[in-house]
Amino acid sequence: MYGLSLEAVRELIGHYNSIAMAIIEIEKLSKSYRVYQKQEGLLAAVRGLWHREYRDVEAVRTVDLKVEQGEFVAFLGPNGAGKTTTLKLLSGVIYPTSGTARVMGHVPWLRDNDYRRRFALVMGQKNQLWWDLPAQESFRLHERIYQIDKKEFTRSLNELSDLLQVQKLLGRPVRELSLGERMKMELIAALLHSPEVLFLDEPTIGLDVVAQHNIQQFLRYYQQQRKTTILLTSHYMKDIAALCQRVVVITDGAIKFDGSLSGIIDSFSGSKILKLQLSDGQSAEGLERFAEVTSVVLPKVALRCARAEVPKMLAAILQHYQVDDVAVEDPPLEDVIADLYQKSN
Amino acid sequence: MTPCETKAKSKHPSYGKVFLMFARNSLVRDMMFRANFLIESVSSVCWAIMNVGLYWIIFEHTTSIGRDTGWGKYEFFVFMGTTWIINSLMQTFFMPNSEEFSELIRTGGLDFAMLKPIDTQFLISLRKVSWSSLSNLLFGILLMVISLAHLMTRAENPWHFQPSIVVLYPLYIACGVAILYSLMICLAATSVWLGRNQTLYDFWFYITNFSRYPMEIYARGWGLPLLFVFTFVIPVLVVVNVPARLLAQPLTPRASWEWPLAGFTLLATVSSLNVSRWVFQKALRSYRSASS
Repeated sequence: MYGLSLEAVRELIGHYNSIAMAIIEIEKLSKSYRVYQKQEGLLAAVRGLWHREYRDVEAVRTVDLKVEQGEFVAFLGPNGAGKTTTLKLLSGVIYPTSGTARVMGHVPWLRDNDYRRRFALVMGQKNQLWWDLPAQESFRLHERIYQIDKKEFTRSLNELSDLLQVQKLLGRPVRELSLGERMKMELIAALLHSPEVLFLDEPTIGLDVVAQHNIQQFLRYYQQQRKTTILLTSHYMKDIAALCQRVVVITDGAIKFDGSLSGIIDSFSGSKILKLQLSDGQSAEGLERFAEVTSVVLPKVALRCARAEVPKMLAAILQHYQVDDVAVEDPPLEDVIADLYQKSN
Repeated sequence: MTPCETKAKSKHPSYGKVFLMFARNSLVRDMMFRANFLIESVSSVCWAIMNVGLYWIIFEHTTSIGRDTGWGKYEFFVFMGTTWIINSLMQTFFMPNSEEFSELIRTGGLDFAMLKPIDTQFLISLRKVSWSSLSNLLFGILLMVISLAHLMTRAENPWHFQPSIVVLYPLYIACGVAILYSLMICLAATSVWLGRNQTLYDFWFYITNFSRYPMEIYARGWGLPLLFVFTFVIPVLVVVNVPARLLAQPLTPRASWEWPLAGFTLLATVSSLNVSRWVFQKALRSYRSASS
C-alpha cells in the first residue's frame, strides 16, 4: 500500500527500538549454580559417593541495569560478588536461571553471529591467543572469523599496535611476551573487529604500575575516540577512578550502588576524617574523648568521627587544644569500599 | 559500524578459509618445534611397523583369520592399512582438539570459543591440526598399495580393480572418520557434566580397539552380543570393516550382507553426527565456565 513490505516495517521498528533503547538492558537477571556440598574427611567422602547434598549458590540475584551507548561503567565488588558472572551472561557464555537481558537488541545467550560480531570480552586471567605463535597469526585468524575487510584489518592493526606501542612484538611468539605485553595483544585481538560493546574483566590484573597506567591511558583514549560502550571489572581503584564516570557496586550477586565514584563515599560512609595540626608543644593526649584517633604523628593528628558530629566535635576540640591547621576530609575510597565488602560478607 | 555494514557481511564466515588458517597456523607451530615434529612422525611410523611385524608373525601360524572368511594375510594388511588411514586422519584433525576440548571445559577456556561468530563445534573440533600424525596416513597408503599389488598378482583368485571403488573407498573412509569423531566429541563433551573426565576420553580408545579387526571374529559365542552392540548401538565396527571390505574383497562373490551393511553405514554416519551435534549443544547449554 505504502510501498513497504512487512519485513521492511519490522526492520524499521527494530532499528527505531535499538536507538530508543539503552544499549544494554538487564531485567531481573539471576544465575544460580547447584554445587555439591562436600563434607570433610574420608568417611564423608565415601558417603558422598552415593548420597550427595547440594546447595544452590546464587551468583547473580535479580540484577536490573541499564547502560546507555558510549558509557564507561565499572563493576566493583569483592571476589565472588557476581561481576564476572554478569559479564559472562552478557557475553552469552552461560545461560541465566531467570530474567532477561538485551545487548544492542540481541539476547546474548542465543549467541547469534550478528551479536557475536558486535562485542568483545577481554579477561585478564585467561588468554585466547595461540601460545606458541606470534600474536599476528592469531590476529589473522580473527580477520577470517570476524570477516574483517582486509584494508580495515590492516588499518586497525596498525592503529592499535601503534597506540599500545607493540609494533615490534607482533612477530614474537606469545609465550615470550611479558604479562603486560600479552595483555596488550589480548586487547588488540578483542578490538580488531571494532566491537560496539566491550566487556573487560580485570584487564590490569597482575600488571606493574607502568603497564597498568599504559592500559588505562589506552582505554581512555580508545573509548573517547570510538564512543564504545565499556563494562569494566577491576579491583584497582585507580583503573576505575581514571576511566569510569559510573560505578556499579555488586555484592552478594545484587547491585548495592549505582552512581559516581565519589557518590560511594556519600552513600556508604557515615564518617569524616578530621586532620589537625597541633601547635608547638601541644600534646595529643585526651583527644580520644572526642573521637576515634586514627593516627598520631605529632604535630599531626587524624581523627574519625560521624559526619553529623563534625561541627560539634571541631568546636569542642578547638576549645581545649591549640590548633594551627584543620582539614575535614572524606575517608579514603579504598577504606569505604573495604568496609562495604566486609559488611556484605 | 553502521547497520548497513553489518548487513554487507554474510551471516557465516568462510569455513574453508578459517580451516586453512587453522591448518596453516598449526603447521607454523609444528615447524617451530621441528625436533618434536620429527620424533612424533618417526615414533608413530615405528609403532605402525611393529604392528605389521606382529601380524606378519601371526600369519606364519595361520593362513587366514577364521575359516572361510577370506581374510588372508594380504587382505588383512589392506584392512590394517585402512585402519591406519582412518586413525591417522583422526589423530591429525580431531584427536588433539577433542583432548583440548575437555581441558577447555575444565579451565574455562571454552569462553573464548563461544564468543566467536562461528559455529562453536566447528571451532572446537578443527582448530588444531597435528601434521606429524599424517606420517601414518602415508604409511597406511603404502601398506595398502603393496598388499593390493600382492593380491593382484597372485595366481589364484587375483584381485580385480573396480572403478566404483575410487568413489566408494574415500566415501566410506570419510564415514568411518565421521563416526569415530562423533563418538570422540560426545565423550569429550561429557566433561561439562563430570568436571574431570580423563577416564571417559580413555574409553574412546577401549571402544575403538574393537574396530581394528574384521567383524567376523565376533560372529561366534560371546562375540555375538559385542557384534550387535558395536554395529548397531555404537557403530564402531563398520568404521574400518566397510571400506576395507569394499576394497580388499575378501569374498568373491561378495556376501549377501555386504551391501546392506554399506547402506546401514551411511545411516549410522548421519545418525552419529546428529547425536554428536545434539550432545555438543546440550553440553554448551550446561557449561558453567570456570571462574576467573
